[in-house]
Amino acid sequence: MAEVGADIGRVRIRLPSTIAKGEVIRVRALVTHPMEVLSFDKERKPIPKNYQFVYKIVATYNGREILQAETTQAVSQNPFIAFPLKVTEPGKLVISFTDTNGKTYEGSAEIKF
Amino acid sequence: MKLELDVPKLTRRDLLRALGIIGSTGVAVSLGLGSFMTVAAQQTQPGMPQPDEKVDATIKRLFGNRSISPADGKVKLEAPHIAENGSVVPVTVEADLPMTPQKHVKSIYIISDKNRRPLNAKFSLTPEVGKAAISTNIRLAETTDLRAIVEMNDGALYMVKQEVKVTVGGCGG
Amino acid sequence: MRPGMLFSLVGSVAVTALAVAYAQMAAPGPWKSRAIPEAQGEVKEIDGKRMQIRYKGAPFAREQRDWSQWRTYAYNDNRPEPPMQKVSMPKDVKGDPKLGRKLFMDGAKGPCTGCHLIQGDDVWPAGNIGPDLSTYGDRLLPDEFVYQMIYDSRLFFPNTAMPPWGTVGIFKPDEMVHILMFLKTQKGNPPFVPPPEKDPDRNPFTRKVKSYLGDNLDPTNNPAMDLADDAMVDWAKKGASGKSCGDCHTGGPGKSMKGVATKYPKHIAKYSRIMAIEDFVSVHAPETTGQPMPSEGQANINMTILIKMQSNGMPVNLDLTSPEMKAALERGKASFYKRVGERQHACADCHTNAPGKGATKFLGGRLLGDVETGLTNHFPTWRTSQGLVWDIRKRMQWCMLPLGMNYLAADSVEYAELELYLASFAHGKSMNVPGIRH
Repeated sequence: MAEVGADIGRVRIRLPSTIAKGEVIRVRALVTHPMEVLSFDKERKPIPKNYQFVYKIVATYNGREILQAETTQAVSQNPFIAFPLKVTEPGKLVISFTDTNGKTYEGSAEIKF
Repeated sequence: MKLELDVPKLTRRDLLRALGIIGSTGVAVSLGLGSFMTVAAQQTQPGMPQPDEKVDATIKRLFGNRSISPADGKVKLEAPHIAENGSVVPVTVEADLPMTPQKHVKSIYIISDKNRRPLNAKFSLTPEVGKAAISTNIRLAETTDLRAIVEMNDGALYMVKQEVKVTVGGCGG
Repeated sequence: MRPGMLFSLVGSVAVTALAVAYAQMAAPGPWKSRAIPEAQGEVKEIDGKRMQIRYKGAPFAREQRDWSQWRTYAYNDNRPEPPMQKVSMPKDVKGDPKLGRKLFMDGAKGPCTGCHLIQGDDVWPAGNIGPDLSTYGDRLLPDEFVYQMIYDSRLFFPNTAMPPWGTVGIFKPDEMVHILMFLKTQKGNPPFVPPPEKDPDRNPFTRKVKSYLGDNLDPTNNPAMDLADDAMVDWAKKGASGKSCGDCHTGGPGKSMKGVATKYPKHIAKYSRIMAIEDFVSVHAPETTGQPMPSEGQANINMTILIKMQSNGMPVNLDLTSPEMKAALERGKASFYKRVGERQHACADCHTNAPGKGATKFLGGRLLGDVETGLTNHFPTWRTSQGLVWDIRKRMQWCMLPLGMNYLAADSVEYAELELYLASFAHGKSMNVPGIRH
């Protein structure tokens, strides 16, 4: 994947190449993001500042929220999630990643049978 | 990949543009919520460090005194027994539990006992996902017990635990 | 001597002579690296300190030391192995078993537990490349013998995989006395019977191995599949010359690249050297389209994946008939068996399956691959423990640092010929790229 710092906010979503109606498929999504870790001062206390990491992930399917995640700095760089989805109808899957700087990075994928 | 503000298009966008928060191309910049939403000041810095927490305190904070039953085979936790790199540890949680509107897995918590703040992530599911499963990559500070706690919509809690050893150094890289 | 024996003796001498002759066929001259700066292996003086410029991320960031004093695979590096030293144990050191145990487990030194199991619930993850030392003390071996074994075991085992700790100065003489005093405490009860094992994962002889990481070609499982899509963009992109890959390689990668990767690494006459796909892309892309694709840059890795994928399912089919290929193969083999680095290890020490060698055994917590089964056909591979793709050259470069030597450029001829040797074992196996590994 890209080097750290390059291309922050690039969302990739993968679905299986063929999807049958009613099937439970696996969705994989990730966003390029450094997920900044804490830095510490000489007394080993965390330096107080607004660290930059993704703290919220929301997946919607034809506008309905189907999954949500609260993530922390203890999630790896370039946060990756994979989850199941029961595809009952064609439509649009939208996954958004919100970081602590208030930026939201979004990607979408079409579900067709 | 699009950068979109999930808000009603006309009015808020105009407001933000007027306040110089976004440029004319509509590309999102830092919302800087604090600059015009003084009430929500404490929401503006979600990246501020939180205090250290021991895992027992984490469990108490998340679940109070609710009883947590052993998953007893109903929840599978997959993580390497020996992890090459504490910064990227793949984890999968799969629960053989219903996902119907009446009875379903509501949340999956991933907790690493020895992390400074044990809660790695919390996933909230709806019956639409069809199956209770989640995969992600987490960071471990050191060798630790890794727990997955599954919460049902009726409040029942199930837990499965596995030790993950984090190696350092050597050729395995 | 019977005629048959004489014939086979002459035959084997002839084969060896031919091998030596091929190996000594002029190795290609030094190659000007086309890799990204971090992958070139350059050593610089920064603030008065010698440092090798290396990749910034883990695990490379863990190892900052300059290893210039230790020999490498470079063809112009003909420094000898440190000569074997026969030594005597210092008489004035009072060995401390407790300190010895700490030294035995010290990751900054060995750790000895990387290869040897000892007693203790806190001992993990020990390896089993070397003998189990859990009851070594019951063998009642003389101190002088054990000291020499730690200092330089080549006296007893000339082809040992064990580093000559004292000769190369990793351990100091008094430290080795502490270690041997500790080993004398490793006794069983009754003798030779270690304490019962509470955790089967602790003991490398009983440790479970989980290896299957799912279907490597399923894009919902292997993030490396995304990179082929990125490479498609580059394939169609017009470079500085106004041309794209697709302008000459018509019909798309599926048509134009089918079967191509099965022949690599191979000798490319234009550049007078062995090249893998990564090496060739690093010169060919800029020369034709004007698109820079330095080795170990993301564009190069992506394009390598795209090209190799088009041969998935087809058998690796190296053409080893030409004198150049034969000579390169011999040089690659010589590298495979060359002892290098502070640790004086050869690839063969860890990656062949023989008594005293490491393949299929654990080095610390890591299962070592047996390259003679043919493992190159799944590179480049997604590494789930890094969240990145590694090609085989990066894999080689990472091996170098724990062995105590600076790495060569990713696109060096030496690595390409070593890769050729490794790839020769994969001959006939199906290409399966990108792989997925921990």
